Amino acid sequence: MIQYTPDKSSIDELLEKLGDYFADMPASEIMNPNILTMPKDRTLWHTKELMRIRKISGVPIIDSERRLIGLVSIEDIIVALEKNLISERIENHMTNKVVTVAPDEALTSIVAKFNRYRFGRFPVVNSKGVLVGMITKKDIIGAILERFRLMYVHDARRKSALEGSTDWFEKSLISGDYVEKSSANFAFNIDYTDVDMVGIGAAELKKYLIANGLDDKSVRKISIATYEAEVNVVIHSGSEGTIYCWLEDGGSVKVRVEDTGKGIENIKQALKEGFTTASDHVRELGFGAGMGLSNMRRCSDKMMVMSEVGKGVVVEMIFELQGGK
Amino acid sequence: MTVNELVETCGFLLVSGDDKDREIESGYVGDLLSDVMGNAPPKCIWMTVQSHQNIIAVASIINAKVVLLCNDRSFEEETLKKANDVGVTLMKTPLTSYEACIELFKAGFNEKGAARSVE
Repeated sequence: MIQYTPDKSSIDELLEKLGDYFADMPASEIMNPNILTMPKDRTLWHTKELMRIRKISGVPIIDSERRLIGLVSIEDIIVALEKNLISERIENHMTNKVVTVAPDEALTSIVAKFNRYRFGRFPVVNSKGVLVGMITKKDIIGAILERFRLMYVHDARRKSALEGSTDWFEKSLISGDYVEKSSANFAFNIDYTDVDMVGIGAAELKKYLIANGLDDKSVRKISIATYEAEVNVVIHSGSEGTIYCWLEDGGSVKVRVEDTGKGIENIKQALKEGFTTASDHVRELGFGAGMGLSNMRRCSDKMMVMSEVGKGVVVEMIFELQGGK
Repeated sequence: MTVNELVETCGFLLVSGDDKDREIESGYVGDLLSDVMGNAPPKCIWMTVQSHQNIIAVASIINAKVVLLCNDRSFEEETLKKANDVGVTLMKTPLTSYEACIELFKAGFNEKGAARSVE
């Protein structure tokens, strides 16, 4: 079977490295549920057109109950063209023996299938034989990133930050070192019970930074980003939170805002400008414009967010000061 | 442009803040706080219909010099108190934000208002 993965080697390498951390992730979490299919009574020509127009290299074939009965790959199309069968019905010329994945099948097993069969994609089929999704390597990468809650991929040091599932509460997301919260130059406990108090922490931090002689531009960026993180804790977390700030040697500032609340359900959506889960009440107050995270990303030089539903959110941001302190 | 000129030329009402010589250098219109956070230039006049106390935190963080409350709304008590604490000038007008911009423009204030940067 032909594979269309131009950056194949780098994807394979990444999968190998990351696979271990997410070994138990089920197919249902990885798969793309929105897939293009073809009913078995259409012709191969229809399939070819679908593949051409939508730029895909394989189409699952289903019966009237959405049960998977086969797959048409580019290879099948080439053979059909050669033998002049292109106007015939799909069901007579498709690949019948399709290797599938169950919705609860774990990532390790899926990765093993990719390595063993060298196919570009695997259909996900439930116990009734119904097609529920497809998995390509890209989907795996996407799912890993999703679970990572990873917005900023730093470098190899990140590896150590990821060991253990919720260990990231104690470690720096960016450097991977254990965070000594007691060593923070500035700490502020966020009162999440009072929307009116939002911004006090960021304002206090601003005062502190000015008092320490940081330049105006940097102070502004740090305060804006911190404000947004603080707003998120108050509006969304439903838990207490803390702002930490370190003035680091070498002219950078690290801000870490953490809470132990609800967590972010869908980081993809959360990252979209304009998306918000804020209530009508707080939206009326002008919050929940859906720009908080993007403001944070724009103001900071490095940023990483980790979250797990029900366990909270940790945001870490690094700001490089212009011309040092 | 100074606060005094805003009163004299544009007809905005000074609600809180003693510094009549305070200078504004640009302007921004916005009612979504994150939008204002992300886009309002420093030393600006911020035109909004939000009147609750959170606007003071926003104004102070982005270093807005004046908050102009439009549509004839009134500032909440707490907002006034906080504005005094952090030194943000509060003004109001019956005009809409759009009409207030026109007044600023007519007063010759059209140089930097369009600046859109966090810098």
